[in-house]
Amino acid sequence: MKAWRTWALAGAALGGLLAAGCQPGASRAACDAGKLCYERGNVSDPLTLDPAKSTTIGEQHILGDMFTPLVQYNAASEPVPGIATSWDTSADGLTWTFHLRESKWSDGAPLTSADFLFSLRRLMDPKLASEYAYLLYFIVNAEAINGGKMPLTALGVEAPDPRTLVIHLTHPIPYLLRVATHSTMYPVPKHIIDKYGEKWTDPNRWVSNGAYIIKSWTLGDRIHAVRNPNFYDAKSVCIDEVNFHPGSDAIAVERSVRRGELDSANDIQSNRISYLRQPDQIPDYVHVGTWLGTTFIGFNPAIPAFKDVRVRQALTMAIDRDFITQKLMRGGQKPAYTFVPPGVASFGQPKPPHWAGWSLERRQAEARRLLTEAGYTKDRPLKFELKMRNTNDPQLIYPAVQADWRAVGAKASLFPEESQIAYSDYSARNFQAADIAWIADYNDPMTFLYLMKSTTGPQNYSDYKNPAYDALMDKADHEVDLVKRGQYLVEAEHMAMEDATVSPLYFYVSKNLVSPKLTGWKDSLSDWHLTRYMCFAGHKAAEPFD
Amino acid sequence: MLRFLLRRLLIAIPTMFIVVTLAFFMMRAAPGSPFVNERHLSPEVEANVMAKYGMDRPLVVQYANYVGGVLHGDLGPSLKYKDKTVLRIISEGFPNSLLIGGMAMGIAVILGVSLGVIGALRQNGPADYTAMGVAVLGVCIPTFVTAPMLVLLFASNLGVLPTGGWPTATQPFSSAWRYFVLPVVVLSLPQIAIISRLTRAGMIEVLRSNYVRTARAKGLPEHSIVLRHALRGAILPLVSYLGPATAGVITGSLVVERIFSLPGIGKAFVASALMRDYTVVMGVVILYAGLILFLNLVADVLYAALDPRVRLS
Repeated sequence: MKAWRTWALAGAALGGLLAAGCQPGASRAACDAGKLCYERGNVSDPLTLDPAKSTTIGEQHILGDMFTPLVQYNAASEPVPGIATSWDTSADGLTWTFHLRESKWSDGAPLTSADFLFSLRRLMDPKLASEYAYLLYFIVNAEAINGGKMPLTALGVEAPDPRTLVIHLTHPIPYLLRVATHSTMYPVPKHIIDKYGEKWTDPNRWVSNGAYIIKSWTLGDRIHAVRNPNFYDAKSVCIDEVNFHPGSDAIAVERSVRRGELDSANDIQSNRISYLRQPDQIPDYVHVGTWLGTTFIGFNPAIPAFKDVRVRQALTMAIDRDFITQKLMRGGQKPAYTFVPPGVASFGQPKPPHWAGWSLERRQAEARRLLTEAGYTKDRPLKFELKMRNTNDPQLIYPAVQADWRAVGAKASLFPEESQIAYSDYSARNFQAADIAWIADYNDPMTFLYLMKSTTGPQNYSDYKNPAYDALMDKADHEVDLVKRGQYLVEAEHMAMEDATVSPLYFYVSKNLVSPKLTGWKDSLSDWHLTRYMCFAGHKAAEPFD
Repeated sequence: MLRFLLRRLLIAIPTMFIVVTLAFFMMRAAPGSPFVNERHLSPEVEANVMAKYGMDRPLVVQYANYVGGVLHGDLGPSLKYKDKTVLRIISEGFPNSLLIGGMAMGIAVILGVSLGVIGALRQNGPADYTAMGVAVLGVCIPTFVTAPMLVLLFASNLGVLPTGGWPTATQPFSSAWRYFVLPVVVLSLPQIAIISRLTRAGMIEVLRSNYVRTARAKGLPEHSIVLRHALRGAILPLVSYLGPATAGVITGSLVVERIFSLPGIGKAFVASALMRDYTVVMGVVILYAGLILFLNLVADVLYAALDPRVRLS
């Protein structure tokens, strides 16, 4: 066997490979000539394409492009008219009347208020078992219907004529317009669901009313969507096709964006941000902003030590949050001394607990004193277990928290688990201290503060039961004046923070990589970016929006 | 031969049954549930979800229903991917894993056997050391190291291949092949290494055997001795290795599918296990077990064809 022949062959093959591959843009997904295609990185594959069953952020990005609700977000994430052109509220804030525009489903069928009525009843149908139906429990009878105690027709929603939808509430919801942008409020096509039942989300028979319609979906590969010619504002849409690529590995996604295979991505690693921002890297791609999410530690009050407010306070004040955000996370995350993230709408100036302004030394000295007072000494130290998710960020930060606690004489052992199992343990109260993350469902303090109401159940992880807190929350629920309501909520939060029922660690940031070629991307609190507002440099829609 | 095949098939049925049973109860014994996340379900809604998937029934009844479904070719709906059935998920992902894995295995067999033969013929010469050095490296460096390094070189620096992804269904092979190169290379490297070592060892042993000496004594040309006589015996250990190895490679690799963002079944399998998507995990386990049984059968038949001493009866 002649070795040189083999090597020559291999060399020729490699040379051919290099020659064939050296074409500009060779690795971008195929796009028809004259079309604008947006290759969009998306955190994950959707678990479902049915808006009523949707739960994940990855789904929300896709479905937001496919459906237009009564009220939608504009490019800057403020609620603006969608299918409803205007709305009125009754003086008591309990009745909302939406006036709908004339519009069509993507198959040409007319879209009327009856579709919205159907969609809301379907959402509350116990048989559908929507995990997010609780978000709209403020609609009259919704909770009873969802619990199977009342018929669907009892829902407090009416469609008096095809262009009017009336929603009755159990108490004033000043943030209704923001909730109305959520996928639970998306209209679903009754005429298609009547025909195909649960299988209506098959891409082959896809019908929706948004700027885009889904054409195909391969798990782990992409969701392919094209313009909806019947969208009421189709002329304002610039991009013709959008492909949602589920990101599987954050570093791989980063490489794809650099190479121009993806135009944007939303799951980059926090500790890569300062590197990517260096002048010789891709600083103009990096978009980081405040996001509505909090990571916090919950304390199980069934553990005797955690019944003592001094212990919870000591553990909360001993943590060096600046170290966590500046040295570990490094993505612009903010240290959290309160629970509601900064920037949340209709909230007053938050009141941190009394010790928040102290130096770390003073806080740790006070923590030591509190623990001693509670009966925990060097010979008899406080010992407990902290359950945590075994994902990147928790594994990075909890050893630091553990060290801070050790410094004040508390011995915590860390117990990492898969997220699914961790949350199921938390719900069953099978934990002592727990690492928990909460992301806003809508932009209002309520989505955070209701967690600590005594009636909330399993998601009140620390089983906080404070009648004064509940009373304040109740007062806020029935207050129409937004400023007063905001003050009640600030008071309530302050109460829970002084009680140290949970220990907030840091507030989230949104992290996106966006190619400078993509225009119309605006950073916003809700990290919500509809494709219909975007375009590519040098192109524009027939009649641009705004 | 026919009797042999029939008997193997009859053994395969209880084997599959045991696999299904073990997988079912092990999956259910794992802590956690597919319906738990940070958004807690109200008890009524949770009861509805459980009822919808028949999970409110006693475990034994669920098991009976599941086995009944499998016998009718129904692997059930995915508990997590609510719009997809298990069959759909497998039929979307498996062909892609099969394509990549098949190509990788094909290349690995051709290159691995060649390297092994060269090594054996030039035992302890420079060619042998080079070939075996490459092989040792191939086994030692894990794919999660080779994959990013190759991406860095060929995609990020040279820019001749995509960093990952998958061609569209309508894309012609003339441009689609670029997406396959790096995953196939990464998957085949460790296989080339193992195959070449197995071939080399087998070859060295056979070359010393009496029948090769006889062939030499009869004055047969060297290529005829190596390719027609020695190789047949030398690759016997390889054949028994290839059965399960092929099953492993064509059912997808988590690492390779993650790093190259490939829509394969390996990633879906691991994700399902983590999310406690019981039905998808079961479906893939059944597929995997079936493939191993089938490929082992193929290996046995090949054995008989290659080695005149083996008789299937």
